[in-house]
Amino acid sequence: MSRVVAVPPSPLRAFWLKWRFHINVLLLLIPLGFMPKYFADAALFRGDTGLGERVAGQVQVGPWSLTLAEFRNEGPSPDPAGPMKFFNAALCDNCAEQVKATYLRIGKPRSLRAAGVIFFGTPYRMGAALPVPERTPADAELWVTMEGWDGTMHQGSIPLSQASPATIAWLNKQGVKP
Amino acid sequence: MNMMHPARVAAALLCAGFSSPALAHNPMCECKEIPGEQIQCKGGFSDGSGAPGVTLDVIGYDETILVPGKLGEDSTLTFKKPSAEFYVLFDAGPGHVVEIDQADIQPQ
Repeated sequence: MSRVVAVPPSPLRAFWLKWRFHINVLLLLIPLGFMPKYFADAALFRGDTGLGERVAGQVQVGPWSLTLAEFRNEGPSPDPAGPMKFFNAALCDNCAEQVKATYLRIGKPRSLRAAGVIFFGTPYRMGAALPVPERTPADAELWVTMEGWDGTMHQGSIPLSQASPATIAWLNKQGVKP
Repeated sequence: MNMMHPARVAAALLCAGFSSPALAHNPMCECKEIPGEQIQCKGGFSDGSGAPGVTLDVIGYDETILVPGKLGEDSTLTFKKPSAEFYVLFDAGPGHVVEIDQADIQPQ
């Protein structure tokens, strides 16, 4: 005969012992809250929702053109190399074969060497991370430089306020730096 | 064996929290004036790597190359401040450039 006397568990422990399995099922529900953002991001990265969160419009670059879009409809994101704004672009249907490289820069480039950041990716969906200097004026222009396989170079521009109102809002919030 | 050890759970959460979806390496360059009418520029990339041997040219506003240079082993280049108006171009390849105007070079 065992003489061990069972000590009744504390109320808290009794609650835990009784409900622990149900409480753990609730844990499985937590990821559901993150699902809408997860699927929205997945669609954005895959291109199912278009070029980017906000399509800025067409930019005419000599005989060619491209569709420019903000990857995310928000201001530049911090980076060790300075604030970066991500743009996506698609070349026009008949110029995809002719254009070798596409560059993006705030302000008119001084030369082809300093044409800005290069777009990566396929002609139908290219991406570039554009450094946005904190002293960028609100009336700045975004310049697109295209280099063709035939050696020609063409340039076109779009006002930054049209390309990315969120960046202008970000610049205004920062205040004009001296 | 206890897979749900609190330390393991904490480690897994930390890994999930600090993982970055993409690590780009954008070119970076900084120039400053140093004693003796000289300018020192230091190049690198945003992933923390240096840029020894990368081209750094000092170019006049009229697009003439005043000082053709390459960064040394310590990723820096020191040159005499040109008398004409100029800008510094850190050139790590097409689309991987940093331009620094003379107005953006901090005086000593």
